[in-house]
Amino acid sequence: MNGVELAVVTPARPKRTGASAAAEAMSGLLLRVASSGDRSAFAELYDYFAPRVKGYLMRSGAPADLADDLAQETMLKVWRKAQLFDPQKAGASTWIFTIARNLRIDAARRAAKPALDPDDPSLLPEAEPQADLTVERAERDKKIKAAFETLPQAQHEVVRLHFIEDAPHSEIAERLGLPLGTVKSRLRLAFTKIRKELGDLDA
Amino acid sequence: MRNISHHPKTETLAEYAAGRIDEARSVVVSTHLSLCAECRLAVADFEALGGACLEDVEPVAMENSSMAAFWERAGEQDILRPKEETPRAANDFDFAAAQPLQAYLSSPIDEIKWRTVAPGVAQHVLQAQGYRQGVLRLLKISPGTQLPKHTHKADELTLILRGAYRDEIGEFRPGDLADLDDEAEHTPTAFGDEDCICLIATSAPLVFKDLVGRIVQPFVGL
Repeated sequence: MNGVELAVVTPARPKRTGASAAAEAMSGLLLRVASSGDRSAFAELYDYFAPRVKGYLMRSGAPADLADDLAQETMLKVWRKAQLFDPQKAGASTWIFTIARNLRIDAARRAAKPALDPDDPSLLPEAEPQADLTVERAERDKKIKAAFETLPQAQHEVVRLHFIEDAPHSEIAERLGLPLGTVKSRLRLAFTKIRKELGDLDA
Repeated sequence: MRNISHHPKTETLAEYAAGRIDEARSVVVSTHLSLCAECRLAVADFEALGGACLEDVEPVAMENSSMAAFWERAGEQDILRPKEETPRAANDFDFAAAQPLQAYLSSPIDEIKWRTVAPGVAQHVLQAQGYRQGVLRLLKISPGTQLPKHTHKADELTLILRGAYRDEIGEFRPGDLADLDDEAEHTPTAFGDEDCICLIATSAPLVFKDLVGRIVQPFVGL
């Protein structure tokens, strides 16, 4: 899924007022799906997340039709696994990000080795948060999002590219017209800063 | 539970959370995570950062966005019920039996067919190339054996499964993960009562040659 030409896109940073409220609303919708199989709640989730997941997959190099299909599959897993979602453990966006990321890796593995059963070896990062991580998870997610949003523009940009685009850091550096070392140090600074704000000084 | 002294770098965990690292390194990291709550927490934090980035992505309209089409596809699928979470073993954890690694071993670690590559050093290559290039191998070093001084590349990871070794950096025991800086040089020596077994991910296939003649070359990438 790499090697795809990606244009340099530097969208204006969206205004994020109320974004956190939206995230909480999403978790609420997911809970309604989990508790009663609420299809109208799911439709709202779908409207919000499916196009974003598709956008993520396309930015990571998937052709539009594959991205569309994988976004559908992601939402299918969200529907099927809604009862496994626990807002105490992760926000809706985090949970859906991990599902989409794993499907992206599965798809790349299938492309590399058609015979492989993508559900077989459990090498992938786990989609479901661990039991021992439940403490204040939702609180941490909120703080992380807030810290991400207040990063200096230069760091914000590389973090976004790190998570959303699949291009190697060297390619990201080239596109931004920066030395690779600068991209790496910006990422390191951003990661350290975000985790420090959570109180993990030893991270 | 033994305290783990050496952990993956923050960047490595962030790459793992973003789904960027190859399969070989992914197995090494996830095996470490299976007993390191501290790193699991870091990965969860980075996944949350991924979630925040996902919210920021510019949406791309779905081709057939009608919910009817979705429900048609969802039709045959059952909704999953939550399963009981199995508690993690907190004591005497055997890294060689860690679940993420088991999927890659064709036999129990005690029955592996080792290939001797140098006196006191044997290796066994595992198949883990489904996602990007990378080589996963087990290395077994007899106690007292010192590897020649060699350098590392930044994208190489070594996890100790059994036994121990010490080098210029410190002592590495089961669960410890060496995520060395680029060009870091070291001279590890296995010590203790048992063979030191390491799980190693490197970015490119390596050929071990006889120690006779080229001494350093075979160990570049350990």
